[in-house]
Parts: sequence; C-alpha cells; structure tokens
Amino acid sequence: MSLHNISWRNLLRHETILAIVAVILLILLAFQSSQFFTGANLLNQGRLMTEVGLVAIIMTFVIITGGIDLSVGSILGLTAILTGVFWQNLGLPLVLAACLAIAVGTFCGFVNGFVITRFGVPPLIATLATLALYRGLAEGISQARSVRGYPEWFYVLGQGSMLGVPTQLWILIALAILASILLAATRIGRSIYAIGANEVAAFFSGLPVNRTKIAVYTASGFAAALAGVIFVSRVSTTRSDMGTGLELDAITAVVLGGTSIYGGRGSVIGTLIGLVVIQSLKNGLSLAGVKAEGTAVLIGLMLIGAILMTTVLNKRRA
Amino acid sequence: MSDPEEKDLRRPYVRLAGISKSFGPVKVLKDISFDVRPGEIHALLGENGAGKSTMIKILSGLYQPDGGVMEIDGQPAKFASAKDANSAGIATVYQELLLFPELTVAENIFLGHYPRKGLGRIDWAEARAKARDLLDSLDCHDLDVDTRIATLSVAQRQRVEIAKALSHKARILIMDEPTASLTEKDVARLMDVVRNLKSRGVGIIYVSHRMAEIFALADRVSVLRDGMMIDTRAIGDADEALLVSMMVGRSIEQLFPKGEAEIGEAVLEVSKLNHGRLVRDISFSLKRGEVLGIAGLVGSGRTELALTLFGITPATSGEIRVKGKPVTIKTPRQARDLGLAYVPEDRGLQGLVKSMTINENLSMASLDRIAPGLFLNFAEEARRAVEAVKRLGVRARAGIHQPVGELSGGNQQKVVIAKWLATNPDILILDEPTRGIDVGAKAEIHAMMSELAAKGLAIIMISSELPEVIGMSDRILVMNNGQVTAVIDRANATPETVGAAMTAQTASKEAA
Amino acid sequence: MAAIQQSAVLTGKSRPPRPLLSRLVSDYGQEFVIIAAMLVLFVAVGLYNPRFLSTSNLNTIFSGNAYIAVAAIGMAMVIITGHIDVSIGALIGVLATISGTLAVSGYPVWVAWSAPVILGMAVNFIVGWLVAYARIPSIVVTLGMMSILRGGLISITGGTWISGLPKEFMIAQWKPFGLPFPIIAMVVLTVLAAWWMRNFPFGRSLYAVGGNPEAARATGLSAERRVLAVFVIHGAFAGIATILFATQLQVIQSTVPPNLELTVITAAVIGGVSILGGSGTVIGSTLAAILFATIGSALIFVNVSAYWLRAVIGGLILITVLADMIRRRPAR
Repeated sequence: MSLHNISWRNLLRHETILAIVAVILLILLAFQSSQFFTGANLLNQGRLMTEVGLVAIIMTFVIITGGIDLSVGSILGLTAILTGVFWQNLGLPLVLAACLAIAVGTFCGFVNGFVITRFGVPPLIATLATLALYRGLAEGISQARSVRGYPEWFYVLGQGSMLGVPTQLWILIALAILASILLAATRIGRSIYAIGANEVAAFFSGLPVNRTKIAVYTASGFAAALAGVIFVSRVSTTRSDMGTGLELDAITAVVLGGTSIYGGRGSVIGTLIGLVVIQSLKNGLSLAGVKAEGTAVLIGLMLIGAILMTTVLNKRRA
Repeated sequence: MSDPEEKDLRRPYVRLAGISKSFGPVKVLKDISFDVRPGEIHALLGENGAGKSTMIKILSGLYQPDGGVMEIDGQPAKFASAKDANSAGIATVYQELLLFPELTVAENIFLGHYPRKGLGRIDWAEARAKARDLLDSLDCHDLDVDTRIATLSVAQRQRVEIAKALSHKARILIMDEPTASLTEKDVARLMDVVRNLKSRGVGIIYVSHRMAEIFALADRVSVLRDGMMIDTRAIGDADEALLVSMMVGRSIEQLFPKGEAEIGEAVLEVSKLNHGRLVRDISFSLKRGEVLGIAGLVGSGRTELALTLFGITPATSGEIRVKGKPVTIKTPRQARDLGLAYVPEDRGLQGLVKSMTINENLSMASLDRIAPGLFLNFAEEARRAVEAVKRLGVRARAGIHQPVGELSGGNQQKVVIAKWLATNPDILILDEPTRGIDVGAKAEIHAMMSELAAKGLAIIMISSELPEVIGMSDRILVMNNGQVTAVIDRANATPETVGAAMTAQTASKEAA
Repeated sequence: MAAIQQSAVLTGKSRPPRPLLSRLVSDYGQEFVIIAAMLVLFVAVGLYNPRFLSTSNLNTIFSGNAYIAVAAIGMAMVIITGHIDVSIGALIGVLATISGTLAVSGYPVWVAWSAPVILGMAVNFIVGWLVAYARIPSIVVTLGMMSILRGGLISITGGTWISGLPKEFMIAQWKPFGLPFPIIAMVVLTVLAAWWMRNFPFGRSLYAVGGNPEAARATGLSAERRVLAVFVIHGAFAGIATILFATQLQVIQSTVPPNLELTVITAAVIGGVSILGGSGTVIGSTLAAILFATIGSALIFVNVSAYWLRAVIGGLILITVLADMIRRRPAR
C-alpha cells in the first residue's frame, strides 16, 4: 500500500485503537503484578511469542490474498517429529536433520499452494484436509513416541540469548522487518494486495496470480517449519501433538491486527501489535494464577470479538 | 367483440407514470411513462446505460422508485420486494438465469411454492406432472423434468425459467435480452414460445437489441435514452433507421470522428483459431494504424475471441503470429509481453481493483517496468500516474490517490485504458469501451482511439452499438455463433449489411 | 436419440420419466460407492482375520460409532447451506461432561438426557446468529467457539473422569427388540432427516441457499433465518450424539474426543455433500461415518497402527475434494 492510500487511514484508525488498547493493557498488567514489567519477564514473553509470531507474520500474507492456512500447526508438528526422526533414527547430523525437516515442512506448504491453484480447491478445505494429513503423518511416523536428549548447543536456539535478547526473538524481528518491507514496497507485495482485493482484475492485468499464491503458501509452510525447530529447541523434546491450535492463535493475531478476513487489507505491524496484546494477556492471566487452558477461552473470544468489531465499524462508516 | 370487452383488452395491466430514480447524484430515470396491455408484446429499446435495467428492476420489485406512480390492473401498487411483484403477476427472465444447478427442472420451477399434500409434505408427483404440463404448454416436449439444471443447455434453461414464470401465474413477463446466447434454431423456438404466451393473454416486455426479432414479434416499441422515454409507437409506425436515431439521438457522422490514419503492415495474423463452442476457425489479420471493429450479437463469440487472443482462455488449436513470428499465448502475462493489451468488457470486475487508488491501478500491468529491481519506485510510479491522468483527462477529486471505485464510469474506463497504454502495446483490444459512459466521455474515448491509430497502434474494437462500430472502424469483422460471417470494408458498412451478417449462417449449425 | 425426440415433438406429449433404477443410480451414486467400499473392506479384512467379522467387533463398529453418524447429519445440513463447523468435537466434549455430571449428581435421567440437546441448540444459536446476521465467516466463528469450549472444559474440570454413572442413564447400552439402541437411533434419525430434507420446503430451501445464494434471495428465501435454523438443528443433533457418546462406557472423559470434528466433517464430505454447498444427502454422510469406523477397525485388525488413522482421513478428504473439483470443472 502506498503511503498516500486512503485505506491506510482506515487501517491506521484500527491500528491506533489497537495500539492504545495494548498500551492500556500493559499498564494494567504492570499494576496487577510486580513481576510483569521486569526486563526478564518481557524478554521471556518475547521468547514464548516467537513461534506463533513467525507463523502469524506469514499468515498475514495468506489472509490478505483472501485465503487461509489451517495446516500450520500440523506442519509445525510434522517438522518437529521429522527433526527427531532424521537425527535419532537416521543418524544424520543435527543441523542437517533440522534443515531437511524444514525443507519438508516448506514442501508441505508448497503442496497446499499447488492444490489451491492447480485444482481450484478453496483454501479452507485444502488446508483443513492437509491439517489432518500432515498431523496424521506426524502421529504415524512417531507412533506417539517422543525424542529427547538433544545436544546442549542445540538449545541455544530456543533457550539461549544473544546480546541479552533471546535468540529466536532476533529471528522474529528480522522476519518482521523483512516481511513489512516486502509487503509495502515490492512488486510481490503489491500483487498480494491486488489478488486479495480483486483476483480477477489482478489476473487480467497480467499479474502472476498462481505463482504468487504458491509462494505465499510455501512461505507459510516454511514459517511453520522454522517455528517447529525453534519449538523443539525450546522445550528440549519432540512430540507429535506439538503445534495443536497454532492456527487459531496465528489467525487471531492477524485479525486483531486489522487485516480483513476477506482479503485486500492488512499490515505486518498490525499483526505484531496483535501478537503483543495476546501474549500480554496470556502472561497476565498466568501470573494471576489462571491455567493455560483458560487463555484458550480468551483467545477464542478475542477472535470473534475482533471481527465483530471490524464489521460494526465498517457498517457505521457505510 | 362488444365495446366493454374491447376496452378491457386495451386497458394496460401495468402502467408507469412519472417514474424517476436516482442513485446518489446520478438521475438514472426521469419521468418515465410506460404501459403494457394483456397479450401485447411491447419491445423496449435503448443503448447500454440508457436505464433499461433500472426500469426492469423497478417493475420486478428489486428497486423502489423515488417518484411517480405504478399501477397494476388499474390499482396503484408499491412493490417492497421481488415477492410482491411476483404476487402481482409480474415475472422476469433475466440474462443471468436464476436457477439452481444441482436441483431438477421440476424443483426449480416450483421452488418456494410447491404443491403440497398431507402433513405439509411436498407432492412430488403433482409437481412433476404440473411441470411437464407447463413445458408441454410451451411446446417443449423434449425436456425431462427430473434432470439437473447443470446438464442443460442455455436455451433449455431459459425455457425452464419461462415455465417457472408461468407457474407463478404471470400476467406480465419481462424478458431481458432473451436471445443473447441462443443459436438460430433456439431463437426461432423462443419466438414461437413468445407468440404462444401472447395468445394466452400474457403481456410481454421484450428487451432486446435485435431489430429482426423486434419487428417480427412486437406490437409496440418504446425507446429509452439517457433515462428518458423518447417515444412509444406501434410497430407499424416505425422503421429501423428511426429507432436507431431515437436510441442514439444524433447522426452517425457527428458522433464518431474517425480520423485518417496510415495503414501499415500486418501486426497480428490469426489463422484457424479455436476454443470451445464460440471461437471456431477464426482467421483474420490486423494492420498498424487500423481500427478493426468486431460486430455481432451478444453471445456470438466476440469477447470469447478476445479472451482467447489475450491468453485468458488459451486457444486449443490454430496459429497466432505477432509481427510475423508465430507465438503461443497461454496467459495474459505472455500476451502483454508480446505487445497485446486488453481493456475488458466488465471493467468493475475485470479491469479495476476498486479499493485501490488510481495510482496503483495505473501501474498494475506495468509493475515490472516501473520497478525492474526488487523495490517499487514510488516516485516514478506517481510521476507516470500524474502524466497519464493529465493526458487522458481523468477527473478525480483527490488526484492520483483517490480510490477508483469513487470515479464515474467514464473516468474509470480512462484509467483502465491508461493502464494498458502504459505497457506500450502494439495491439490494443477494446471490449465495449464506451458502455455505460456519458456522451462526453464517449467522444473523448473515440478521439483517443483515432489518435492512437494515427500513431501506429493497431486497434480491435468490440462493440454492440452498430452506429459506433460502423462509425469508427476501417474494417468490420462480423461474428455469429463463434465464426466469422463477413469482413466488411468501411465503404460498404451500413446497418443493413452489418446487421445481415450478424444473423447469417455459415456451413455448420448447432442443434439446440 | 433424435428419432425419439422427433416423435415426442410430433405426439405433443413429454417423454415418460426415466426408469426408477436409472434415476436411483444417478442420484445416489456416491452412496452406492460407499456401500461397495464397505463390502470390499469387510470381505478383504474378514478373510485376513475372521475375528473382524465377529458379533462383538461388528457391534463396536456400528454401535460404538453411531454417534458420529448422528452428528454428521447436522453437519451435512450445515455444509449443504455452504458453511462449516469445526467446533462440533469440543461441543460434544462439553455437553457430555455436563450430561454426566448431572447424572451422577442425582438429577432425574431425563434431565441428564435433555440438557445436552437444549444446551447444544443454545450454543449453536449463538454461532448461527454470528454467521447469519453478523456475517462472520463460519470457519472463524467455529474456530473461536472451539477454543472457548475446549479451554473452558479443561480449565473447569481439569480433565477428570466422571464415573459412577447410574444404570438408568446408560441408554446406549439398551437393546430394544434385540438391537443396540445407538444403531436404531442412527438409522431412524438418518431416515427421518433424509425424508424431511427431501419432502419439506424448508429442507429443500437449504439446497437453494447453499447452491446459489443470489438466486435464493431473488426467490424471496431469507438466507439468514435458514442459516440460523440450520445451526440450531445441528446443535440438537450434536446433543443427541452426545447422549449416545456419553452413555457408551462406564466413564466419561472430560476431554474433547480427538479427531471428532474432522471425522464428522469428512463423513459428510465423503458421503457426497459437496463442500461447495448445494448438494448431497444425509444418507451418504451416515454411510461414510460407518465406513470410517470400519476403516479404523480394519487398521487394527491388519496390525496397522491406529496412529495412521488421521493420515488416512486427511488423505480421503483431499482425494474426495479433488475429485469434486475436477467433476465441477466448467465444460468449455
């Protein structure tokens, strides 16, 4: 979106409201618990937020094109399993195993894109089917056994820090910057917005619609796969149910951040703010003694609430 | 017949008086008076954008008029919805048929008003029998009422729609461009159906461009232009030239200032091009500086030909040569790279991204030229946009950063044309370039076309408006049923010769 | 062909309706394919391991999975109108816990039975309203609802099991006329639902709304009311499915049965309900649900680990949908 675009103004309105909400939220949480606003806690939250964050940033692209990717959680799980399998069962060096697993995960994303573009299967159905297929493969390959005992140096990725900031947070920040620039200032970014706003016109104008969509879904697979390796490194183990529910968190962050579920509008910044809001709420609830499952209720409410809010705002403007 | 009965027959079933309708600042219908008698076939003529579709939608209850009075059978009436119109006996058969592909013929006819039996159950036997009777009464005996709509041809679906209208006990049937997608044989059958309905006392509003059918069927004819009812006459008091001049409002020469351009070498040669039913064995050549008009009835394959040339529905056989070299065109991107440009028929859906700005739309076909590297060059993009807006005279309140959805039809069309001119094409295909555009903008676009031809561009212009085609083209390619029926030089182009070619048969015919 | 048409035109009468058998085959083709697949499985696996065909195993397959078929009835209706519901698994988990808790807390059995149906309808009334009137895509609403229900269930109950269910409660273990109750319920409900959808205008209008929303609106059918009603009906079926599910075993796990929403959706889709809306029948979805149960059991009996079941389901959805898309490719 160019800087002068009028819908930028609308987006800024949504983002501004969200940013204000985020700030208020952070202040409230700081008062609620003395532990919240410490450097250590904030950095740790950044660490915890990375896996969803990576996936959510690319999910922004997917949703802007008017699509959706429900299989990200399963790709994460499959990649995690394959890392363990390649390393332990096949004896590959860990770095190679992880890279190979990420390659497979990326390919899973490519398959999504392929099915959606070549066969015209609606993204909802295609990724619902692959959600089952990829998770099923993860479960079948692992037979519900978990892998442990990774070498110490591997945990630097998920549990270590560089220059005082958690390692994976650097990755998240790098991806966020890259993605923002891509979306706002490159040809493919413009194509992504055009496809979401009016795919037919984009095609008639000679834009490479199928190629762009495949690229976006492949990237989504890559993000989920990368998140999978980071996850394994963070929790020191591999299990086949990892990443369950990831798609919900990612989609909620994207929608909360102002991206329209119908496509054509959205920004990475909005998604980041949405992530911060969600993570802060999770943290706040956990500090107040609420169990992890309780936050799931909150996320669900926020997803519905966010879209309801945008619908109402749009209706009032019309 | 005694006097009171005659008077009854002559009393209109539906009458409009002083009807007006605006959408925002645009007044689409002004002070319309119109009526239809039982058993009358009343033709409605008008260019695209004259207000026909709005008038139909008011009659069928989808729109409410802002002013004026509507009377049904002598009583004032107000339709709040399509259902009200239906109950009043007005049924419409639209161009885009409103049928359910996965349901059967019988079910489509009776959806929403099934015959019932005990416990409120649907009486399928009764529904099927009645459906068969309805179709039989229209002399359609070859349709199995248990087949799914998805398997039927367009002509067959249309008959189902008419049967559906009859099932609602329609007194007035509005038919919107009914023969648009029909073959010769189907048109004849449809005309029989229409006469059949007339003999049963159903009044018919026949909206069509096709003079032959109008003169064969209609009792009266009304002409709309720019939202006003120009005149209503008995068909015997009108001839084609009169009707055309009423529709258009001015003489042909005034409207279409086709300048003289030097005609150069062939830049596009098409040989035996095929795709599906509507592009069959098409061969022609196009030269620099030439305006090649493509005329034909709706559904004759003109747009399909353009879509095949432009790679949207690639050719299945045949050869295309651009500037002498044989090429394959499988995507719009390839077409563009070869020097073709296509300004589509449906500019809202196919030509523009309405939520994006003028700036963003203008660059959409030439992004890789503005930014060959990784990043977009915003300054260059904006510069080109400003220049294009000035050159084509696009009027936009907020300049190049206004969303195109807010512009008028004429200005939107200019943006689409400018978008494609930015790719420096050799061949420009315009599909209904002045449809739905005010007269001033129309003239500007025609002048632009002449200018471009003079500069050496080769132009293909598809148009349903005979005066426009005849006025602007150096040669006219006439299509019917997917094939070229004639190539007519400017000197020999008259409404008669072109019109005759539009309904002419070539060797093979299609069965219904 | 032409001669027949000619003669029909000449005599002025329509062709007689196609013979019953040919109509049955073309309308119910998908259902026949499923039955054929089941027969093949029974024969093949039965030969490999005869215990597959034992009464107790057949009872497990048909009776134990009948609740999935019942849930698939409601889901099929939702998909026919062009929507989807991924929260059905979580909903059944929650309703089962509530039902079981009521039963062990001394409430009359009929309360424990009717609670899930009423609550299922209430929850889905909210979902349906958000989809129909607030126009939020159903995938989003039901994703959110799934999270709310699942999270709520675990955080409130902590995943504990409910045991000590009173005998009168265990309706799934009754055997009226010698047949297990779940099978009777499944067959009766499927037949009733199919009959209703075939013969009543409301049922037919669901196909219209899902098949061509614009045409439906032009015909005066209010999509909003119908979509809302469909979700509520779906909630009722979910409640009934819950009763069958909760009364099968001596304990109720307070968790969401894994894979359930996927199995139910897949049953509907493979049963011939096109995911694009507007076609398919509930008979197909019931048959497909049983087919899955058969596949699941077959995997065990041929010593393939049950952990591959989800992969099989995913693969099946993909294949069915691809076939559907290829079939629907517009003929040029």
